[in-house]
Amino acid sequence: MGNILTPTASTLKPRTSQKQRWRQWVAGYLMILPNLLGFLIFMLIPIISTVVLGFTKWDLVNIPQWVGIANYKNLFGDRIFWLSFKKTIWFTLLNVPIQSFLALLVAVLLNRKLRALNLFRTLFIIPWICMPVAVGLTWIWLFNTQFGYINHVLINLGLERIGWLTSGNLALYAVLFVNIWQYLGWHIILLLAGLQIVPQELYEAATVDGANNWINFWKITIPMISPIFFYDLVVNMIMTMQIFDLPFAMTNGGPGNATRVFNLYLYQKGFSFLQMGEACSMGVILFILIIIATFLLFRFLGSRVNYDMY
Amino acid sequence: MRNNFSYKRLLLYLLIIGILFLYLFPLLWQLSTSLKEGEEVFSGYNLIPKKLTWSNYEIAWSQFNVRKYLTNTIFVSGIIMLGTLICCSMAGYAFGQLQFPGRDFLFFFYLGTMMVPQAVTLIPSYYIILRLNLANTFSGLILPFFFGSAFGTFLLRQFYMTLSKDLFEAATIDGAGYFQIWWKIMFPLSKPAVATLGVMTLVSQWNSLLWPLVITQSPALKVLAVGLSDFRLFRNIQWNSLMAAVIISILPMLIILFSAQKFFVKGIQFSGMNR
Repeated sequence: MGNILTPTASTLKPRTSQKQRWRQWVAGYLMILPNLLGFLIFMLIPIISTVVLGFTKWDLVNIPQWVGIANYKNLFGDRIFWLSFKKTIWFTLLNVPIQSFLALLVAVLLNRKLRALNLFRTLFIIPWICMPVAVGLTWIWLFNTQFGYINHVLINLGLERIGWLTSGNLALYAVLFVNIWQYLGWHIILLLAGLQIVPQELYEAATVDGANNWINFWKITIPMISPIFFYDLVVNMIMTMQIFDLPFAMTNGGPGNATRVFNLYLYQKGFSFLQMGEACSMGVILFILIIIATFLLFRFLGSRVNYDMY
Repeated sequence: MRNNFSYKRLLLYLLIIGILFLYLFPLLWQLSTSLKEGEEVFSGYNLIPKKLTWSNYEIAWSQFNVRKYLTNTIFVSGIIMLGTLICCSMAGYAFGQLQFPGRDFLFFFYLGTMMVPQAVTLIPSYYIILRLNLANTFSGLILPFFFGSAFGTFLLRQFYMTLSKDLFEAATIDGAGYFQIWWKIMFPLSKPAVATLGVMTLVSQWNSLLWPLVITQSPALKVLAVGLSDFRLFRNIQWNSLMAAVIISILPMLIILFSAQKFFVKGIQFSGMNR
């Protein structure tokens, strides 16, 4: 019959009989089945359930009680909810631009024919592959008021010790700093890929016309990389709004409520206070927030993206 | 002229190495602390320990239970990775090469859910596992992720779509089953994509905190992320042993990173450039 890759003499065209098509359908459904099953049970049904449960009061033990929009009303009257809401938005507003721009700068620096480029890239990713919990613990140690390395540097510079994680004012920024630090490599890799598809001729032509590096950066690099930079911003925003691991590991929401970000509060509402209904409402709110933020990004920045190269 | 060129290069390299040193300093500090003896940890700020000791690793390994946490993490992440690779490969192949009614609609549905935060699926998923009597078990840890994610299917579907149609047609001519075609031809060809997905899944599961936190209570089931997080609220932390535990939690991923660098890079690029 010949091997599977070479058509035998008896068939010159692929048979697309009804039976053949039918077999394809069956095969198709069967092959997506496990993946689809997981999707249905652990993605689709939970999404719908969360929306529904957002209208109930539920402590996991008893049957959920329908309470309409009472959860949402309660949340909007909850001081800590607003705190976590504002802190998360503020955190995201700071994290996304700072991290993405820093990553862009480093990516521009690395975007040359360096022999060790692969090694450099890999080294930058190392913090990203560490678990946030591990990173958090390390930075707790570094930020330690008495013995931490950071304060040691400050003392040597003649400044005073700072209670990075014990100060209500600073704790969020400490966590922000660690977050920027940990995921910087991820963004560097992404933006580097975007930089590397910018045609070299553009730079050469501009240099011939007398442009220097500064002009090149603003007139060529930024516009050419804008699609990928924009997507980086969007992805960054979506990931940052959901942040949990780092605040959990570093400060557990404290001191006070200083680092009680949205997802952390949601988790505590659900699993510490067993207010599952309200936790679900928060989940819905978070989802809506992300959609709105994505929409806003597209609306206000999307138009400034330059698609000439595509 | 040539001298200038190589001086600039040297400066550039030095700059990058300098930045890298600063950037990775916390990790070096981790390592350094983990090798120090108790008194030295609090008495000095030297990067290189005056007295090197491995005892912290022993303490972390046995006293802090890191050995159990490590084996649990390897087990859970490994199984999830295997399940994901098989299920997403099959689904990616079907979505990418086979025709069946509702295929594209279903796929766009998948895509839509990729934007949904984990918080939204968390509580009902927890309840489902609870009702299946799988809370606080390995199965409960593994099940929701075993069948693969939308991301994985997306990745593989994009890959399968790049394979030539002729290959597919030639394979179907001889009447071989579609599953066989996948298993014998397409799957072996998809090794780079599978490796990329494998690496991404492994990292994501190895570092995963929220789900294991919610599902496991017994110390015997804890994964590294959960086990380590217990330490964050301790008053008198033994920093050197804790840092040793931290290093142990990072080491396997570090090894995989250096052996499969390009797949990590591809995975990141795909995450950001796929829309």
